[in-house]
Amino acid sequence: MDWDVLAPTTMAENDAAWRALRSTCPVAWTPRNGGHWVVSGYEQVAEAFRGWEQFSSARTDPAVSSITLGNAQIPRLVPEEMDPPEWHPVRRVLARQLSPAASERLRPRARHWASHCLDAAMESGRCELVTEFAFPVPAAVALEWLGFPSSDWEMMSHAFHDPLAHPRGSSEQARAGKAFLTVMGRVRDEIAARTVRPRDDGMTSILHSDVEGQPVSTELAEALVFMTIGGGVDTTSALASAALLHLHRQPDDRARLLEDRTLLESATEEFLRLYPPARTHARTVTGDIEFGGCPMRAGDRVLLSETSAGRDPLAFDDPDRFVIDRFPNRHLAFGAGIHRCPGSHLARIVFTEMLDELLDRIPDYRIVDEEVVEYPNWASIGGWAKLPAVFPPRPRGS
Amino acid sequence: MRISVDTNRCSGHARCRAVAPEVYELDELGYNVTPQQTVPAGLEEASRRGAEACPEQAITIEDD
Repeated sequence: MDWDVLAPTTMAENDAAWRALRSTCPVAWTPRNGGHWVVSGYEQVAEAFRGWEQFSSARTDPAVSSITLGNAQIPRLVPEEMDPPEWHPVRRVLARQLSPAASERLRPRARHWASHCLDAAMESGRCELVTEFAFPVPAAVALEWLGFPSSDWEMMSHAFHDPLAHPRGSSEQARAGKAFLTVMGRVRDEIAARTVRPRDDGMTSILHSDVEGQPVSTELAEALVFMTIGGGVDTTSALASAALLHLHRQPDDRARLLEDRTLLESATEEFLRLYPPARTHARTVTGDIEFGGCPMRAGDRVLLSETSAGRDPLAFDDPDRFVIDRFPNRHLAFGAGIHRCPGSHLARIVFTEMLDELLDRIPDYRIVDEEVVEYPNWASIGGWAKLPAVFPPRPRGS
Repeated sequence: MRISVDTNRCSGHARCRAVAPEVYELDELGYNVTPQQTVPAGLEEASRRGAEACPEQAITIEDD
């Protein structure tokens, strides 16, 4: 099997490649990208996510991300790139900040920002759903809660979006490393300000957290802030983009949601299953094991595919069909096991408020198919760069 | 009818509570820390749905 999983593809090509692999060989080896295992079956992906002892998330090379392929030189993501026991107290800090109750308190802000972003487009009858809606709303919710001034929001959200939305070798991509440094610089400055003068915001709350009875260090606080932005901003945007495109292409599903908004909850799980923003994650094998019939060696790299798992016919009947009230829906869009996305509660809240607001305000939107632009690469985060929409103009507040 | 939760397997997806809030309570971080509970009368169907919703398959229902 000779598959460069990082090669640029369309979403359809990427899904087709996973389908072909999953049906023949749910655990397979490719010599590309340094050589790694590829896990595409639902049961195997779930088992590997749960098996943190065999499939470690810890960094082996301090300069390079352990949980993606492609040797991304980004700061260590915490607690995502930690194993127990180090993982546990750090996870507790983030889990508390993003708990179901804490996330629920942000619901009105999600609604506010969704409404605010749509207001601007109502009279023109045009809205570029990515840059004017899907992209700024989750960023505003997270960055406002954290306590960054609004003058930072565009710069920060672009820093995470641009490396994904533009092809390798583009000038936007080249600026990505510098953009992350700028983000970290702002994080550092804002955390430092709060050590002197605490405020009523997320960054202060993170800074005042305990790790095993000791106050969190400023370095860890900065890293947790970086993780919160990186983990939740562009991912939620991608989910909203996927859903809005789906509801354009599948008018029956849109009609059902317009008729019965209580279906939004189960529809959200179907969007997550079919269009998971985080499509894959990498792990490192800790000791020689046999897994999925394959002999894995300590140090081997393994790529797990949440996106392939979500379309596995062994786990889901008629897996490529969107079934608006599908139940059960045990998709792995937020992963599984100890590293299950801590932002999952907030993600669902922000997403449902965005969709609910948009369906109230412009239920009759139409996306201009010829102008749709996908991310050039669907290997790790999958999303859209442009989804231009049109609709009959209406008063700003309607 | 009894609900058993493998609390080590629970990863805090909170799907049990999302589907059956009348049956399933979570701790403040969103984890199910109740290893055993009796199903309240009339909530058998809700209990089953909550168990089925769990992506970790951490919940089992036993008829007694």
